[in-house]
Amino acid sequence: MAVTSKPGIQQKRRSPFRILIAPLQAIGRGAGTVVGILYQSGRDSIDQVIRNILPFMAFISFVIGIILYTGVGSLLANALKPLASTLPGLLLMTVICALPFLSPLLGPGAVIAQVIGTLLGVQIGQKVIPAQFALPALFAINPQVGCDFIPVGLALGEAEPETTEIGVPAVLLSRMLTGPLATIIAYFASFGLYS
Amino acid sequence: MDVLSIIDGIFKALATFATEFIGVFQKGATTFVGLVTGIVPLLIVLMTAVNALVRLIGPERIDRVAQASSSNVFLRYLVLPFLAVFFLTNPMAYTLGRFLPEKQKPAFYDSAVSFVHPILGLFPHANPGEIFVWAGIAAGITTLGLPVGDLAVRYFLVGLVVIFIRGIVTEGITAIMWARRPGVADAEASEAAEA
Repeated sequence: MAVTSKPGIQQKRRSPFRILIAPLQAIGRGAGTVVGILYQSGRDSIDQVIRNILPFMAFISFVIGIILYTGVGSLLANALKPLASTLPGLLLMTVICALPFLSPLLGPGAVIAQVIGTLLGVQIGQKVIPAQFALPALFAINPQVGCDFIPVGLALGEAEPETTEIGVPAVLLSRMLTGPLATIIAYFASFGLYS
Repeated sequence: MDVLSIIDGIFKALATFATEFIGVFQKGATTFVGLVTGIVPLLIVLMTAVNALVRLIGPERIDRVAQASSSNVFLRYLVLPFLAVFFLTNPMAYTLGRFLPEKQKPAFYDSAVSFVHPILGLFPHANPGEIFVWAGIAAGITTLGLPVGDLAVRYFLVGLVVIFIRGIVTEGITAIMWARRPGVADAEASEAAEA
């Protein structure tokens, strides 16, 4: 990109050719920037898809393949049905996932929540679990969200080490209350859904 | 004759085993193709659009909004987590915690991290690596031939209510633990002695 000096601009103003060219240059440069941004955004999304999304889809597909093809599905259905198709069952699942010594272990990559979610999805598709339980189930499988990541998350927020020391147990304890509460709210919010 | 029939039996068993064995993976492969054609194209386009939007807006403007949002409890645990997760996505969303006082950082983290899944139904770009927390269960609804949009909207709205409650509860618990933290008595005593 050329650096324009003052005499240069005056020269441009004198020439009618330059008057025509200047806006074209501006448009070209602007378009170039926007296209560059869009292109980089596309590159980022493709990166993300290849690095994170496709591998997980492969893993999930394998799990679903086993569930659907073998008899594991009906076994799981029997195990999950009482847990996932009544409010007390969902609450029990929530409380287990929110236990302060379990939640940091269940958290990483949300793998547990994703696998259980997929299992429940298969059961919902087979009408073993009623469709309106999808909403409370979304919260029941996930009271542990981010419990593995608290020190890192706080560090990203530039928290002092002292804050982290208090913040980790504070969040874990809070989940014991807000986890089941979220499931209950979702249960009442699911009235009238798919009925 | 006997030997022949035994060999024949073994071959038949092997053939059955091979069919069943590959069947698991064929079922998985069908699922994989469904996921790739169903979710990935939309996700790529959406992620590209939002990435471009964030680049065009610029991080410093988002920071300025974040700074302004830290004062009020509704802004702090409702608007700020949403903006953080929507624009910065998981895990960079937690960096906005740096605009809050130390005592509120755990609550903001709790609030923001709890929103990285409820947002997925409407804005899957925010956390595509963990999309199956949502998509797993939503797949069941799709299998039943019901519209997923209804569930997505409710998941989003209940998510907002839940992150607000989590923010307030965690802020309260942090405040209690902050007052009781070990060493605080000594520190206050020494401060009193100095005074």
